[in-house]
Amino acid sequence: MLRFILRRLGISALILVLGSVFLFFITVFSGDPLEDLRESRDRNREQLMEARIRNMNLNDPWYVRYWTWAVGVGKCITLNCDLGTDSRGSDINTALVNAAGSTLRLVTLATVLAIIIGITMGILAAIRQYSGFDYIVTFAAFLFFSLPVFWVAVLLKEYGAIRFNNWIADPSVSLTAAIIIGLLFGLVLASLLGGDLRRKLLTFAVAGLVAFGAITYFDMVSWWRQPALGLGLIILVALGAGVLLTYLTVGRTNRKIFYAALTTIVAGVIGTFVFGGWITEPTYPLLLLMFAISIVSAIVIGWFWGGWDKRIAIWVSIGTAVAFGLATILDQLLRNWGPFLERKPRPISTIGSGSPNFEGPFWTGVWDWGVQLILPTVVLTVISLASYSRYTRASMLETIRQDYVRTARSKGLSERVVITKHALRNALIPITTIVAFDFAGLIGGAVVTETVFGWKGMGALFQEGLTRVDPGPVMAFYLVTGTAAVLMNMIADIAYAFLDPRIRT
Amino acid sequence: MTVTTDKTSGAVLDFSDVDVRFTTEFGSVHAVKGVSLHVNPGEVVALVGESGSGKSVTSMTAMRLLPSNARVGGEITVNGRGIRTLSEGAMRRLRGNDIAMVFQEPMTALNPVLTIGTQLTEALELHGIASGKRAVDRAIELLDMVGIPEPARRIKQYPHELSGGQRQRVVIAIAISCDPKVIIADEPTTALDVTVQADILDLLRSLKEKLNTGILLITHNMGVVADMADRVAVMFKGDLVETGTADEVLLNPQHEYTKMLLSSVPRLGAGRAQMGVNISEDTIDRDAELAIDLENLVIEYHRLGKPPFRAVDDVSFQVRQGEIVGLVGESGSGKSTIGRCALGLIPAAGGSFRLLGQDITGMKRRQLKAIRRRIGVIFQDPAASLNPRLPIGECISEPMVVHKVGNRKEQEQKVYELLDAVELPREVYNRYPHEVSGGQRQRISIARALTLDPELLVADEPTSALDVSVQAKVLNIFSDLQARYKFACLFISHDLAVIDLLAHQVVVLQNGKVVEAGPREQVLANPQEEYTQRLLAAAPVPHPGEQRERREQRHALLRELGDEVSEIRASGGEFHRTFVQTEEPKDL
Amino acid sequence: MSDNDKPELPGSGREHLSPIPEQHDPGAPQHREFVTTDELSVEKQIDLSQKSYSQGELIRRRFFRHKGAMISLAFLLFITIMAITSIGWGPIPGWWPKNYWEASFVENGGRPSLGFFPPAWGEQPFGQEDAGKDYFALTMRGTQRSLTIAFTVGILTTILGTAIGAIAGYFRGWVESVLMRVTDLFIVIPLLVLAAVLGQRSGGGIWPLAIMLSLVSWTGLARLVRGEVLSLREREFVTAAEAVGTSPWRIIFKHILPNTMGTIIVSATLTIASVILLESALSFLGFGVRPPDTSLGLLISTYQNSFTVRPWLFWWPGLIILGIALSVNFLGDGLRDAFDPRQSRSE
Repeated sequence: MLRFILRRLGISALILVLGSVFLFFITVFSGDPLEDLRESRDRNREQLMEARIRNMNLNDPWYVRYWTWAVGVGKCITLNCDLGTDSRGSDINTALVNAAGSTLRLVTLATVLAIIIGITMGILAAIRQYSGFDYIVTFAAFLFFSLPVFWVAVLLKEYGAIRFNNWIADPSVSLTAAIIIGLLFGLVLASLLGGDLRRKLLTFAVAGLVAFGAITYFDMVSWWRQPALGLGLIILVALGAGVLLTYLTVGRTNRKIFYAALTTIVAGVIGTFVFGGWITEPTYPLLLLMFAISIVSAIVIGWFWGGWDKRIAIWVSIGTAVAFGLATILDQLLRNWGPFLERKPRPISTIGSGSPNFEGPFWTGVWDWGVQLILPTVVLTVISLASYSRYTRASMLETIRQDYVRTARSKGLSERVVITKHALRNALIPITTIVAFDFAGLIGGAVVTETVFGWKGMGALFQEGLTRVDPGPVMAFYLVTGTAAVLMNMIADIAYAFLDPRIRT
Repeated sequence: MTVTTDKTSGAVLDFSDVDVRFTTEFGSVHAVKGVSLHVNPGEVVALVGESGSGKSVTSMTAMRLLPSNARVGGEITVNGRGIRTLSEGAMRRLRGNDIAMVFQEPMTALNPVLTIGTQLTEALELHGIASGKRAVDRAIELLDMVGIPEPARRIKQYPHELSGGQRQRVVIAIAISCDPKVIIADEPTTALDVTVQADILDLLRSLKEKLNTGILLITHNMGVVADMADRVAVMFKGDLVETGTADEVLLNPQHEYTKMLLSSVPRLGAGRAQMGVNISEDTIDRDAELAIDLENLVIEYHRLGKPPFRAVDDVSFQVRQGEIVGLVGESGSGKSTIGRCALGLIPAAGGSFRLLGQDITGMKRRQLKAIRRRIGVIFQDPAASLNPRLPIGECISEPMVVHKVGNRKEQEQKVYELLDAVELPREVYNRYPHEVSGGQRQRISIARALTLDPELLVADEPTSALDVSVQAKVLNIFSDLQARYKFACLFISHDLAVIDLLAHQVVVLQNGKVVEAGPREQVLANPQEEYTQRLLAAAPVPHPGEQRERREQRHALLRELGDEVSEIRASGGEFHRTFVQTEEPKDL
Repeated sequence: MSDNDKPELPGSGREHLSPIPEQHDPGAPQHREFVTTDELSVEKQIDLSQKSYSQGELIRRRFFRHKGAMISLAFLLFITIMAITSIGWGPIPGWWPKNYWEASFVENGGRPSLGFFPPAWGEQPFGQEDAGKDYFALTMRGTQRSLTIAFTVGILTTILGTAIGAIAGYFRGWVESVLMRVTDLFIVIPLLVLAAVLGQRSGGGIWPLAIMLSLVSWTGLARLVRGEVLSLREREFVTAAEAVGTSPWRIIFKHILPNTMGTIIVSATLTIASVILLESALSFLGFGVRPPDTSLGLLISTYQNSFTVRPWLFWWPGLIILGIALSVNFLGDGLRDAFDPRQSRSE
């Protein structure tokens, strides 16, 4: 396995180097870096030109410039990167550090979301082939495929940011809107959960009423500006996760596993009181520490309850602990929404990846960059989730037809086990390859999205660099995205080997 | 239309007037038309038929695993419970517990990404027989019972690490894991080599004898029927046309279809002149020129990062003009590789391959083309052997076009002649391959192979994918054409009976080496080598009494050679005792 | 029997309908003890009473039955014909009285005069842009340019991808290595980035841009064709052709490529959809079509800031891009279903 990874790593590094030569070459020859100055009527034109020639080493041939760049990058091994200067003489290193952070945050989040949502939708569409849900997913996938990124981004900016900001200033939901939201929620949930007509109608009615009731209630208590979950809801969320995980892994009646989940929740509640102070005013290391503590206690609890099925019990309690933790974080975030609104009355800015010089408690700070992440992430997720759902659906349909799925059914396994244990793992194998390929596309999409949302990210670095025919920023962009793509590929390869024992040997 | 002789009370599986229709885009298809059949404990009932007879569909109704477009009528009971009205949950508890299945393809019947252990224990845990560590122990016991060596190690392995025969044993272990009352075995040995087939059949037979399990055996192979069945039911196009004991049906068939089916099966050792196939013996000229002359041929496959794999190792034999040489062997014996080398498609790594008097190893493309003009070829898979985009006439005339023989008119005339020769109507000239059936496509392949009046024909398992009655027809046409055109032929097959029917000389291959070679009578009637003896002993014949004798002879041979006869390694009482339920079944 | 494009399913009871009597070779030896009568044969009789369909005809029939694809085709034809005839193209004169370059007085705030209830065309159906140019004519011009690029790239890519894919798959060797390395390259350099750099080089005209985009778009199809060729190579009819001594080129053109037509046509269609989106994204970023020329992407880029005041300037080109991409994708889906009925949603 290690040899396999090292081999892949070697090949990837080689591709990375070759790609850099190629990109450097075509960037250098994509135009004339002095074009604007040649046409300029400035008095100090000559000086400007000289400065630029000096900054970009234009008197050297391209391969010498490439070599200089490569040597600078080579210093990264000693954590002392030197990416040179751009055409205006400013240091690229500093620009890159800021840009890389915001872009990778965006792309990683979007990839993870797209994979989770896309694969789930694909599986549901496949096992409900030819149902209304299947047709909706199919149509949505085609629609998302066909959307011009920048166009959607501009639309979202208008409706997701400007109009939302107007609304949150004095939030109220009209009765009609509440009814429509209730109906939609009911429809979506009914088609997601499926079942026969009676069950669908029941789901529709219950879900619709709950959504309608919740919205009216929120409206009455002005929840929109002062939201919170409260410990009760947190416990409910964790309980839901525990029940779902138990059901997914062993089925309803295995009490031991379920008790493990319950104990985890009790431990979580105790933890909430013990670490109360840390939670309301944390730092990142503290959060990480609390996360580690909860995982460890989950493992202990799972081990304690597990009996014959220790492994499953441990996984279920870890899952429950994570759900509890996430719900707690969400609760804290919601509690800080009000304070955040006080500091920033129009919460979602149409431009930038965070407010400059924002000051406030920890959780409002999270809100500050968090809300800026929402819209670009939605754009990127929507666009790449389409291909995941299509591929998953096709792959799943192919797998369900296989002989071993029939064998599994003939043992008397339930449909749930047949799908999750026997079909899904096989269906995921080809998808890992797609993920790797898609990542590069996502970075491309990020360039456009960042431009629309005015992020000072990698996209801007690339775009400005290319406009000035300046290889420095373009190569800095490549260094980060290329490495990220190679890493993503590695992960995909490892996932592939993990999923498919046939290539491990 | 159905004859039920025995009492059905006490039957573990009972079909009564079962009727299945599939609703398709093109209307309704009536796949099973009122079939009544039962299986008693400790009894093997063989359900026999060719493709499209509805035998598999009938059996799947008992598992309730037919696709959703199937409409089932009639009554089916498993272990006394009517399953048509059972709830989905109750049906799931029934599957595995009371009724289990063994499938045809051991290569695809096991999940490639789960270990053997996981796939064995999940049924045990599901049906509440054992869980956790105890389930693993039980799984190891089960693997040991079905005769898999080192079960504790195997349990952690994945299916791709096991051979086909071992995988089928694992499938059987899964099937018996919950001590079902009845097992449906759907063509359990069709995908296996003949020696492995004999072992698996022995294992299945011991299930019925030791565990008193009822078995519904679905097969198209009359030899397997004679070897295994207590009673036989014959299906034809959805109808049950004949039922009775194995002796009644196989020795004294009443229905025309059964008679035809039995007369289509080539019998090993029954000599020539079966099924109207006539291969003349006397026309062979011992001094005729050599069509193929192999000397110490070596063929290797190159593998990335590993030493090359030697598929053919030091093989020598000859094929004379006008002679049919049968190349026999099990999978992996290198027989097809030799065939491909004869066509110049794979280079030889060593030795010499003289084709029609010329050495083709290291020949240039142009020279090879001249040789190829004198060779014809027929492949195995009727679905893949013709270009789906070309009309049949063009498929047949393609060799003439490539070698620029004759003008359009003459080419057309030749195609008509050949269509007549393979007994196909001339109208198929402008039809496409997808419009004709498998046997007809193989006949078209034969016609294409004969287009340039070849001196040598390479036939690579030309009838293996066909039903027996279709195979009989194709072999018939083949032998007539050989009598007429007198071409030499390298006939590659795994079926000893077919080779016995056609070949003048027989070459037996094992793992790329020649085990035994010589005239047909000598090799097949009086084999000298151990491997040939095993091979011959393992081939079943469609006569119950004769097959029983052959089986006993084979067991005697195996013991003499120091091998075990495969059987379940547990006594019935001991086996059943372990199924006292230890936990409440999980409700899934 | 309305549907006769599938062989009879076994057991459907329709196998006996053939008017052809038993086939017997009169010259065959008469000593056969073995008889097969057609009633007892499981083999389907060749039904000569029905019309014969080639694979191509079957595919066409399936395609024309695909509703989504038919609607998409109609829409695409409508857009194309509109774009070409309204303002004219080359020698074709246009029927729309206004042109896309003349500014004029902005009426009614430049609002579109297109009405649906009751249907009305009006003076400025798509409204006017900031300088008073007729936005309908401008949009049609953009559509023409975008479609031209998309179809040019579609055709060039198909030729290039098919040729390289077929050679790589059949002969393997260095062509295959090059193809695989270029594919690896696309993993580390996003397509859009590469296209942007080359687009910058092309200088903003549509023809150089189309050629540059073709240079980066062929790999997907080449990989697909290579995969198909690799698997077709192992099929017995190709081996049979090789065994007869058929030349490699004849095998590729006569036996392999006709069997990959499905993949090629579907992929070409989908390429057109992705090129429409790629071109518009590049033009939006400023690396694609540049003024004075125009395209749908450039129109959106130019007028994105007027969204709050004159939303129609933003909506029309966007909707047309979406419409074209969506219909081309559906067309591709219909073609895929027609070529590969196994994956069809109407099995």
